[in-house]
Amino acid sequence: MNSRKRAEAEEIIERADASLLEIIDHVLNKGVMLQGEVILGVAGVDLVYLRLNALLCAADRLLPARDRK
Amino acid sequence: MIGLYAIALGAPPELTGARGEPLRVLRCGELELVHGEVPPPLSAEALRAHEAAVRRIAEGALACLPARFGCCAEDEAALSQLIESRQVELAEALRLVRGREQMTLRVHGARPAPPAAGGPGTRYLEQRRRAMTLPELDPLRSALANLVRAERVEGHSEVASVYHLIDRGGAAAYQRAVEGIRLDGLRVAISGPWPAWSFAPEIEP
Repeated sequence: MNSRKRAEAEEIIERADASLLEIIDHVLNKGVMLQGEVILGVAGVDLVYLRLNALLCAADRLLPARDRK
Repeated sequence: MIGLYAIALGAPPELTGARGEPLRVLRCGELELVHGEVPPPLSAEALRAHEAAVRRIAEGALACLPARFGCCAEDEAALSQLIESRQVELAEALRLVRGREQMTLRVHGARPAPPAAGGPGTRYLEQRRRAMTLPELDPLRSALANLVRAERVEGHSEVASVYHLIDRGGAAAYQRAVEGIRLDGLRVAISGPWPAWSFAPEIEP
């Protein structure tokens, strides 16, 4: 595990606004993955997925509140 | 090394990747593997650029399954080899997403109460079932029944994510329908339309 890359990944997620968090969830958590070949140069990202979920929860304060009428 | 952007049907010409490089299309049976240079190092800009490149493919293609950021292969031959054994499931997934796009809901406050009846095992299984299916969202499902073609749900302790596949161009109607529904104790944030990120075939362990 490359700790510098992990720190970079964490920093991106910590600083992300709501729209970037949405992009991160789709681009890093979803989509077709090639077995054994994914995430070259993105080491450590998998470790922050759980953190991403917590932040997505907070993100609704930033997104327009569609449901509050 | 090459980087994969999407698996498509009828990909449009003159696409560009996250580095602004021209993308190439490699045929693998009926699949079109859209690839370019290796993705740039991880950064917020790189993630946005990957998303934007996939979006350009999805907007012009008949069908598009996005590739996760960071998918690489040694060369075209290696890429074909990685995809070949999964051609059937990928073709099936392309049929599902054809002419469609994705809407994403983040549902806050979905904490199903544990059922009172049954032994500990039954209660556990019922709780798991509810976390996977979110029956609290059934009123929303009824309101969206005419618009939603497929659904994926991911339950988490704090926020549940619901991914809906809708016909292209249906985002405004979808949004109006979601806004028109009041769900007891739940708050819902909508984003989209997206390429069909959440409708790629399940990843093998």
